[in-house]
Amino acid sequence: METNVKPQETFQRFHILHRILHIVIIFNFTLLAVTGFLLHFSGFGWARFLVSLMGGAGAAGWLHRFCAVFLYMGILVHIFWLFYYKFVLNQKLSGPDSILPGKKDIRDLYQNLRYLFNKGNPPLFDRFSYLQKYDYWAELLGMQSMGITGLMLWFPEFFAGIFPGFFINIAGYFHFYEAVLAVLYIGVVHMSDTHLVPDIFPMEKSIFTGKIEKARFMEDHPEEWKRQQINPS
Amino acid sequence: MQSGTIKIKTKLKTRWMVPLLMAGCVLLGLLWFSYARAGNDTASLSTWFVDMNQYAASAHGSLKCEECHGLMVGNGLGKGLDRGKSHPDPDAANFLKTQTRRNFDYQSCRKCHKTAYSRFLKGEHSTAAAKEKTTGNPSKTGYAPACGDCHSAHYSKSHLSRAQTGKIMTETCGTCHQEQKESFLANYHGKAAVNLGYEKAAFCTDCHGAHTMLSLKDKEAALNACLRCHSEAPPEFANIIIHDSTKNLDLKSDAKKSGIKWVHALRVLALILVVAVLAFFFMHTGLFMLRKLHEKLRRHK
Repeated sequence: METNVKPQETFQRFHILHRILHIVIIFNFTLLAVTGFLLHFSGFGWARFLVSLMGGAGAAGWLHRFCAVFLYMGILVHIFWLFYYKFVLNQKLSGPDSILPGKKDIRDLYQNLRYLFNKGNPPLFDRFSYLQKYDYWAELLGMQSMGITGLMLWFPEFFAGIFPGFFINIAGYFHFYEAVLAVLYIGVVHMSDTHLVPDIFPMEKSIFTGKIEKARFMEDHPEEWKRQQINPS
Repeated sequence: MQSGTIKIKTKLKTRWMVPLLMAGCVLLGLLWFSYARAGNDTASLSTWFVDMNQYAASAHGSLKCEECHGLMVGNGLGKGLDRGKSHPDPDAANFLKTQTRRNFDYQSCRKCHKTAYSRFLKGEHSTAAAKEKTTGNPSKTGYAPACGDCHSAHYSKSHLSRAQTGKIMTETCGTCHQEQKESFLANYHGKAAVNLGYEKAAFCTDCHGAHTMLSLKDKEAALNACLRCHSEAPPEFANIIIHDSTKNLDLKSDAKKSGIKWVHALRVLALILVVAVLAFFFMHTGLFMLRKLHEKLRRHK
């Protein structure tokens, strides 16, 4: 049926830089989670086996730190891009296209919760829905605290010179709990909301191709679509 | 017809269930019996009778018995006990009943292991032994160990790797210091060292000293232990908690006690936060999926 339909009109949604950075995050996040949890569950035989496949605890630890640095470089590139976007390209970081959280997001959340219980229409999202914004900020801010606690565990000699010794222990627990949070959030919530939604299943490709189909655009980002029709950029 | 066959099947099942269960019980009993026996066998390591095959393969395998035990036969050449009568004396009331490990005179170890022995004499295990003698009671942890309680003179092998020795050591120390073993294995050091066999990580004696067995409650001693690997450790480094356990807090230094309290309070807080965030988003996603599915199915109709 679908083969007879003309290829749908598509619109550019994601810049090439963001698509690359997203792949950088996928790659490093996965390896970080795997190596980190292998250390935590090293009491089990399967974890020991997988670590030995990686070349032992030393190699797995090196890989974990390598991926951490690689991932953080991605975040730095993104932050540099934000400055470039604002000061060189003279674009606005706020406004309806922004990823910054606003009052509309709280209204949208409330309206969406009502909609989930069949008490009204779904909210009309702009360029980024509140869930997409949450995904973004969870990653951007979460990686800061994972980075800080990770550095504390990596260089305890340095940080014990600044903070009381037990801060290193706290960093250890926070690093682990936040890893659990991140993996369960990305693995369940982000995966379901983007890929498992019946209309989109099996896969949302726009973050990889950069393009969004007209129908999806109109349905998922109606406010942005409306603005685009009035004032095409 | 059909219901009849089903009935027969269920009958068959119940008929076989009882003997199967009984066989299972017998098997479990046998397993327990052999396990208990095996336990007895390992407990009898280094008591009155020595497995000479294992002994020959051990680190001491080239030594003759009398080099450590003196002459056992009453040929008049031996000294002390050995003179005149055989040792052990079959006529003695406690023949083969005394605990060999607690009664052996470990002075003979000193002949070859001088450094280890002098360190042991300075260490906390011999302090505990001295205390035991004056009070007559063992400490909370148990009887103070002498050489043979940790080392098997007859069966211990030489030329083991650091990781092999470390694994055995963690079990050996853990027989009396169970909590310390558990908290060590929950710590990064123990996970890397024991679980993953990482030879650069610290095992028990790397911090506590091989024969001195310092408790490291003294901050300076603890810092010295850290400095062996973490050459740039500042003084506060010694307050990082390695044995993170809320049991037996009174044994720890004051800095560690307050540290552990903070760590556990914040740990609980972090756990609550994680559970709350995940609970909200899991419910949100679950409802969202149901709603979208519902809409899609309605459109198809």
